[in-house]
Amino acid sequence: MRVVIAEDAAMMREGLVRLLTDRGFDVSAAVADAEALRSAIEADPPDVAIIDIRMPPTHTDEGLRAAIDIRRDHPTVGVLVFSQYVETRYATRLLADRPTGVGYLLKDRVADVADFVDALTRVASGGTALDPEVVGHLMRAGRDTAGLASLTPREREVLALMAEGRSNAGIAAALVITPGVVEKHVANIFAKLGLPASDTDNRRVLAVLRHVSG
Amino acid sequence: MTGKNGPMTALRAPFTTLALRRLVFCVAGVVGAVAVLAVPALIPSAAALILQVTGAFDEEPAPVVAPVFLVLFPLTLVALAFLAAPLGRAMGTAQRALADRLLGERVEPAVPRPGWRAVGYSLLKIPLAIPQGYGAFCYVFGVVNLSYPVWWPLFRNHPPGTTLEPVRALTPFGFLEAQTFSRTFVIAAAGLAMLLIAPWLMRAGTVLDVASMRWLLGPRGLDERLRRLQAGRAQAIDDAAAMMRRLERDLHDGAQIRLATLAMNLGMATEKLGTDGPAPDLAQARELVALAHQGAKDALAELRDLVRGIHPPVLDNGLADALTTLATGSAIPVSVRVGLPDRPAPAIETIAYFCAAELLANAAKHSRAQRITLAVNGTADHLTLTTTDDGTGGADANGPGLSGLARRIAVVDGTMQVSSPVGGPTRIVIELPTHV
Repeated sequence: MRVVIAEDAAMMREGLVRLLTDRGFDVSAAVADAEALRSAIEADPPDVAIIDIRMPPTHTDEGLRAAIDIRRDHPTVGVLVFSQYVETRYATRLLADRPTGVGYLLKDRVADVADFVDALTRVASGGTALDPEVVGHLMRAGRDTAGLASLTPREREVLALMAEGRSNAGIAAALVITPGVVEKHVANIFAKLGLPASDTDNRRVLAVLRHVSG
Repeated sequence: MTGKNGPMTALRAPFTTLALRRLVFCVAGVVGAVAVLAVPALIPSAAALILQVTGAFDEEPAPVVAPVFLVLFPLTLVALAFLAAPLGRAMGTAQRALADRLLGERVEPAVPRPGWRAVGYSLLKIPLAIPQGYGAFCYVFGVVNLSYPVWWPLFRNHPPGTTLEPVRALTPFGFLEAQTFSRTFVIAAAGLAMLLIAPWLMRAGTVLDVASMRWLLGPRGLDERLRRLQAGRAQAIDDAAAMMRRLERDLHDGAQIRLATLAMNLGMATEKLGTDGPAPDLAQARELVALAHQGAKDALAELRDLVRGIHPPVLDNGLADALTTLATGSAIPVSVRVGLPDRPAPAIETIAYFCAAELLANAAKHSRAQRITLAVNGTADHLTLTTTDDGTGGADANGPGLSGLARRIAVVDGTMQVSSPVGGPTRIVIELPTHV
């Protein structure tokens, strides 16, 4: 699987290259700013790009803007946006058109290598990976507080994991329950929130996010 | 007017550019006074003009005049009540601009903008016009009268026996007449006297005018203080915001990145060690743990620097210890002397410390000095921080570094004096109150 990394802190960039190479990824380019990222993607579109939000020259949101452009111009390239803090506003901008092949994670998540690699693989193959922090913000700031209040604590956990973009198998593994139990919880959640049941993970994420964030 | 006081100064006075500038200012002042007098008469005059044109005045007796003026008089009063303040302000602004351009006298605009005070100034223009008008008159007609003997032969060359009216010359005390060439010298003498007295009249007119401007149009004592406090507060808020931004940037790009990388290396090391049993890749795990260890030490060093930049802990022991510590970190040898009767307020100590830090850093960067002396002296109320270096001088008090420092000092009513001739030495004296 081919990856492009855009991260301005050299230490972090080299660490990521090492980690991903070690895990068998092919890092085709590792760049330090949004312009170099755009050219690298133009020259040779990878399966997925890891993009730091804050990069030179302005150190504001050039990474995010590049990520949105890449998602528009290269729908096949997965985009994992990577930052030291999460902004709900950034998440909604990123997910605006479609929640496929996209991720938004805190940089801290690289500490759990297996989870991070799992999220990256999911994004590369068209899935979704949202940071639990983002999902928490969205759910707290969401409009359907009554609907959320009607869920059991377990169902809320399942909902949060769904919103992160995990599959039923992933949710089952995370909560240490069987996939059958997960399916039952999911059905209950959809019924309680009045969402149309959907089979694929992506449509499910979209439905859940639309529901909680309005 | 420069130079020594004496007869020559008085003789030269009419012929300086300052006299000409004052002349223009005085003429403008007279025009302004006439305008002030004319404003209340505008509506009645317009009415009179209309009556004249329509022929109403020709009827005997003029029937419409009395009712028209009965309406117009109150109308004028109402209009004046509404227009007086804007007109007064316009007059004030124009006069301030003139004083600035012609006399180099800057009168800062008052905040809030003046209303009735500006009207008061406009009314004062009328008595002010007396010295101004006399001054301008004496100046212009002084020159004219002085020239009578010159043009007398040109115009008085009629055939003998022609009877001519005497030539008249205008002076402040009425007309002088000249029937003969020799009499024109009396007129010229009067002209010279007028020309010599004119600068003093114009000077009186302009000085009184500028004083009234300062009194009525300029910021009053409290206004001025308020303006300075507002500027100081804005500066303090900007500084605090800039400080927070810098802190965020330093943490984001420094310690946070180091810690994230460290966590990543430890995460990878954990994988290399495996969950139980013999490690799958012990060599790599060791290398990663070593990297993480180094990363943790770097992060600590970075945080320590950052913390010292926010508030040097040694400052808690007092300025003397803090400045001595600061001096040991300087590339150029610094001798420190601190003599303070009491400890200043903590905020003042902090400001003094960061001033000293900035001045030492500046000296290290630009001065090429061999030695720096850093002295702090004070009384119960004031603290003086003096840095002297034997470098090449040429420090610019208006440059971004020093002017920024001056602005920050001004927040607590402190002052800074910079003496840095090219070739050195540079001496910078900062005065701060000991309590905010």
